[in-house]
Amino acid sequence: MKKEIEFTINGKSRKLTVKPNELLLNVIREDLGLTGTKYGCGTGECGACTVLIDEEPVLSCLTLAITVDKKKVTTIEGIGTDENPHPLQQAFVETGAVQCGFCTPGMILSAKTLLDKNPNPTEDEIKRAIEGNLCRCTGYIKIIEAIKLASVRMGGRRK
Amino acid sequence: MPLPEFDYIRPKSVEELVSILAKHGSEAKLMAGGTDLLVLMRDRLVRPRYVVDIKGIGELQGLSWDEGRGLTIGAAVTLNEIIASEVIRERFGALWSAASELADPTVRNRATLVGNICNASPAADTAPALLVHNAEVEAVSAKGSRKIPIEDFFKGVKRTALGPDEFVKAVHLPNPPDGAKSWYLKWKRTWGEDLALVGVAGLVANSGKWIVRVALSSVAPTPVLVAEIQNAFEGGGTLEEKIEKAAASIPGGICPITDVRCNAEYRTHVAAILTKRVLRKLLGLG
Ligand SMILES: Cc1cc2nc3c(=O)[nH]c(=O)nc-3n(C[C@H](O)[C@H](O)[C@H](O)COP(=O)(O)OP(=O)(O)OC[C@H]3O[C@@H](n4cnc5c(N)ncnc54)[C@H](O)[C@@H]3O)c2cc1C
Ligand code: FES
Ligand code: FES
Repeated sequence: MKKEIEFTINGKSRKLTVKPNELLLNVIREDLGLTGTKYGCGTGECGACTVLIDEEPVLSCLTLAITVDKKKVTTIEGIGTDENPHPLQQAFVETGAVQCGFCTPGMILSAKTLLDKNPNPTEDEIKRAIEGNLCRCTGYIKIIEAIKLASVRMGGRRK
Repeated sequence: MPLPEFDYIRPKSVEELVSILAKHGSEAKLMAGGTDLLVLMRDRLVRPRYVVDIKGIGELQGLSWDEGRGLTIGAAVTLNEIIASEVIRERFGALWSAASELADPTVRNRATLVGNICNASPAADTAPALLVHNAEVEAVSAKGSRKIPIEDFFKGVKRTALGPDEFVKAVHLPNPPDGAKSWYLKWKRTWGEDLALVGVAGLVANSGKWIVRVALSSVAPTPVLVAEIQNAFEGGGTLEEKIEKAAASIPGGICPITDVRCNAEYRTHVAAILTKRVLRKLLGLG
């Protein structure tokens, strides 16, 4: 039983017809062509598929597309551009927090959620916030450094 | 792998949900956060014909507390909402700490307390907290509503006391005894997200008489309350001696297995140590 859903993706309104068993992750990557959101494990373990729904981070591999009807979805493409990157995107590049880049979109969205709520997090709070995001190549040190740098640039008091 | 096909139903009221289950009960699966259900469906371990999304039902979204009735947590309340509650943090410490230890912040945005217990994994982190807090599960079907004590709710690995046409509307926790404190300790392989190798919840109160309760996850087919712990505190002896006696009763109260995460002997050993740690913490012994 297909159903038409209407939702906002990165600020633009979209209508799509989806089957109940379609995952938001596949709709974002295949139907919308937004391949910044990654398919890592498909079972909720790695965080590579993280997107924001109504500003809250959610795993798109464990979300039925049909449930985002009337909701606001934001992917990594929606928070900055090449010309005008988000401070977190800029900080990840400058700090060398990106190696293969597979975990980066999810990392940045988890970090953004943290900084939006807590502009001046402790290192422990940063680690807690990215607990659900696995990185298999950069290692976490540079990623934590990048989040600290972005927090300063975004107005946090960190020195 | 894509999910198998199913029909999606999103009821707007408890009444509607009752009638859907009366009609399709055995072919339907409820979906709250979906963090267990969708993984099981992906792996073809469950194949419901109908997925019934309960997140749109307003009546299931309440989290309320009152001096007389205690705490009520609706079936659609997420773990992050539980962590954000001051009352839970102050009065139901075991539940607060268990919710904070479950999965990661992103999963907790979706995952619910009720989903955690209905999934009935032996490793369910919130179950020991509900056991030490004497929780009751409010189950509803077309036949009416009933209260199931949490001790009778778990029937085996992935099995609960619920009938096919029944669902959980809410979980109730009575106010703990005066001066009670509770906490949950989770032993895992990594600092971040992992299931419990062993989890231990403790509750301690003393206004004239000791009330001491300990319950564990990942050490038996279901989460278990070890009743002998109370006896250890009824006789004489120093506090240190009582704690030792309590820990000595743990191996008799559990039946762990060896699995991919660790072996049975290790679980028994850690269960006793965590029991001492949680009791020492609650008794202020550092
Ligand atoms: C990456 C990851 C990490 C995890 N880590 C942990 C962990 O550390 N500790 C832990 O305990 N769990 C963990 N889990 C498991 C899961 O997240 C939790 O059990 C969660 O609380 C389930 O809640 P949910 O709302 O997502 O349940 P759902 O998946 O929506 O439902 C779970 C089951 O309960 C049934 N159900 C749901 N609501 C009701 C109801 N009201 N009445 C009757 N039946 C109902 C469903 O049909 C299904 O069978 C993890 C899962 C993932 C994906
Ligand atoms: S792909 Fe969703 S968590 Fe790994
Ligand atoms: S940069 Fe490769 S996984 Fe993190």
